[in-house]
Amino acid sequence: MEFDFQHCIRCTVCVANCPVFKVDTNFPGPKQSGPDAERFRSDNEASVDRWVQLCSQCKRCDVACPYGVNPAQIILREQTRYGEGHFRPFAYRLFANNYWLGALNSMIAPVVNLMTPRMFVKRVLHLFGISTSIPLPQYRVHSMNRSWRWKGRRRSRKKVVFFYGCFINYNRPDIGRGVRDLLASLGVRVVIPRQVCCGLPALGNGDIATARKFARKNARILAGYIDRGYDVIYTCTSCGLSLTQDYPGILGVPEGKKISENTYNLHEYILKLVEQEYIKPTFEPLHRKVAYHIPCHLRALGIGYPAVRLFEKIPGLEVHILEDNCCGLAGSYGFKKKHEETSARLCADAVRAIKAVGPDILVSDCGACKMQLGYFSGIPAVDPSEIVRESLRNTREGKRAKGDSRL
Amino acid sequence: MNAIYDVVIIGGGVSGMMAAISLAEKGRKVAVISKGDPVCCFSTGCIDVLADGDDPLKGIGSLPDNHPYHLVGEEAVAHSLELFRGIMSDGGMPYVGEVHANRKVLASLGRCKITCLVPETMAFSAFDPDEYLHVVSFYKMKDFYPQYITSRYANAGYSVFDAQVTTTAGIAEKFENRPFLETFISWLQGLDIPEGRIAIPAVLGRSLAGDVYHEISAGCGRKIFEIPTLPPSMPGLRLFDILKKALLQKGVNLYWGRGIYSVEKLGNQIEAVTLAGAGRATRVEGKAFILASGSFVSGGLHASMDAVTETVFDLPTYLPGGRETWFNDDFFAAGHEIEKAGVRVDSSFRPVDTKIENLYVCGSILAFSEVMKYRCGHGMAIATGVAAAEACGGPV
Repeated sequence: MEFDFQHCIRCTVCVANCPVFKVDTNFPGPKQSGPDAERFRSDNEASVDRWVQLCSQCKRCDVACPYGVNPAQIILREQTRYGEGHFRPFAYRLFANNYWLGALNSMIAPVVNLMTPRMFVKRVLHLFGISTSIPLPQYRVHSMNRSWRWKGRRRSRKKVVFFYGCFINYNRPDIGRGVRDLLASLGVRVVIPRQVCCGLPALGNGDIATARKFARKNARILAGYIDRGYDVIYTCTSCGLSLTQDYPGILGVPEGKKISENTYNLHEYILKLVEQEYIKPTFEPLHRKVAYHIPCHLRALGIGYPAVRLFEKIPGLEVHILEDNCCGLAGSYGFKKKHEETSARLCADAVRAIKAVGPDILVSDCGACKMQLGYFSGIPAVDPSEIVRESLRNTREGKRAKGDSRL
Repeated sequence: MNAIYDVVIIGGGVSGMMAAISLAEKGRKVAVISKGDPVCCFSTGCIDVLADGDDPLKGIGSLPDNHPYHLVGEEAVAHSLELFRGIMSDGGMPYVGEVHANRKVLASLGRCKITCLVPETMAFSAFDPDEYLHVVSFYKMKDFYPQYITSRYANAGYSVFDAQVTTTAGIAEKFENRPFLETFISWLQGLDIPEGRIAIPAVLGRSLAGDVYHEISAGCGRKIFEIPTLPPSMPGLRLFDILKKALLQKGVNLYWGRGIYSVEKLGNQIEAVTLAGAGRATRVEGKAFILASGSFVSGGLHASMDAVTETVFDLPTYLPGGRETWFNDDFFAAGHEIEKAGVRVDSSFRPVDTKIENLYVCGSILAFSEVMKYRCGHGMAIATGVAAAEACGGPV
């Protein structure tokens, strides 16, 4: 990993894949900020590359690089080094602690939801360098961590821990509860233990110490379940990437390897159940035209597009896969005032691609993609799990009975 | 995740993608595994079939007997190129040219490159040197100097437009936005250019290049064409984008950004490959496998001081001789012996000297292809890709 940058042959394929480079002339691109600059960096010297902060960590360069250089990983390391050595503006500190922000906002959700669209609140946010070009997400009082903590038969052969992530927890707990119910209806025991933020927002905002703290806490909890025969399930692709890539990687969590080997994307897991013939679900037809905007971090996971393979089983569903564009929000990146223009231009490209398809609904795994693209395209944005659940909805009771008889 | 595919293709370059598309069209369940984006992203996007002579297909007859083109045959080469053309025009970037005729394309140093099929944006690139040529460049654009071109032609001139950005990717992105495109067209209309053709470096957008090109042509009422640039090369990226989009549309599953770290065999059959990467290993099971991992640059072949190895299945490779015979003293001479290195195959694209039965090989990893010498890169990739797919048939 340390000398990966030396494999770079300067082919520029990373640059051709970089969304930020395309629209922001201040960013020298993944090649220069990654492998090229890496040879001039030393742990004995302070980081001076201010422009590494312009990278949104979409990891498109990592996926594109045919030589295993992983420019985004190199940049990430430098971002955290830069963050440690420099004053971090308020917005960075706030978004790094997205988990606590969410916890607070969820507690007083009705007030927050009423306040954030107000002009004077927006002005205050602008003063702190926070963009309001898309409405800030609505918070829910009945968050995921205040929902039922288990579902499905205790003695089921398939047992999972659901890692829901902050967006589902505080903003869209309905998706989380849907996933819980879906898995339970497929004969899977679902447990939702207490958990904190995966750590990715802190990492992306240059605060590796906080990221480690979160990661260690989650790792202890998840590893405990894994030892008892549970698998970990995620739906948020960024949380998933953090669990599988950053925990054993940059965050150096002792249980990292164990977690990364036992963590599954929800759809990947359902496919596994189907392929092992643990379940034989009948997918009901859905007559819809769907644009599936692939989140950058789903690409980075390298597991293919498992939800697409489930969609293929649903009769009548017309799926258009769109994977060439980043939505531009990239977690908290687009919520910073200084990235507002970059974010808007990338979003415009992505929305154009979606509109060209002319879909009834827009599907994306990532909360940020759903917020940004749903708002700017005006097309309802849903989670792939909602589609799968809808297709399996009417047959669920039947499936549950069948599932039980197999136990 | 276990997944059983009819055919698993290793390598996401032109050859692998064409094999995948032709199999998927026959209703086979196909997966493509790629370590990263392929070398066609750096290419000019033009399809070189064979640079010798006027008719590339006729030229195939005069190639050495062991050249992979002979395994495909003239007719099948033409057929596969037409298949490719169909995919590209469905994707919004039609290719022009005759499969039976070579044509010239103006390159960024002012010389012409001989090729066969070219994207529509380069249709007017073959021009009469007596005709006036006007080169449009962009202020401080990297790696493009119009003087290189104009100095070679007596009847040529250039002008420079300030796009506010200097990179090909940046300018291409701007062209996809209406206001910028309109500003550019009105600037072009305002220039007093003598009657003739207009050449622009290949930055006229990425996904919308076809529309941008037509709009500019209509706006200035001249024959305009693109000049391929150094990487990041937009025509190469468009080629890649369209092929990949076609794969996704036809239901091919992609495993991108991950290499292969182990291969499972059962007797003479390859059963599955396991993908390397962070997290749990992904196992991809297939009934047949196509190896299209490319040559040295793509990492399909690896050269040590005295040997050449095939990097995925460790297949036996052909070597022209000891290291002293690999290179020509004249670096720029056409054809170094090492180019002949690669995997030898039988008439049905199966590797020779190995017991594996369900493996097929195509693309530049094939021995004796000598892509640089014969300038047959994309053409051979397309032809052998489709032919290997045909040969493997995709067991059901």
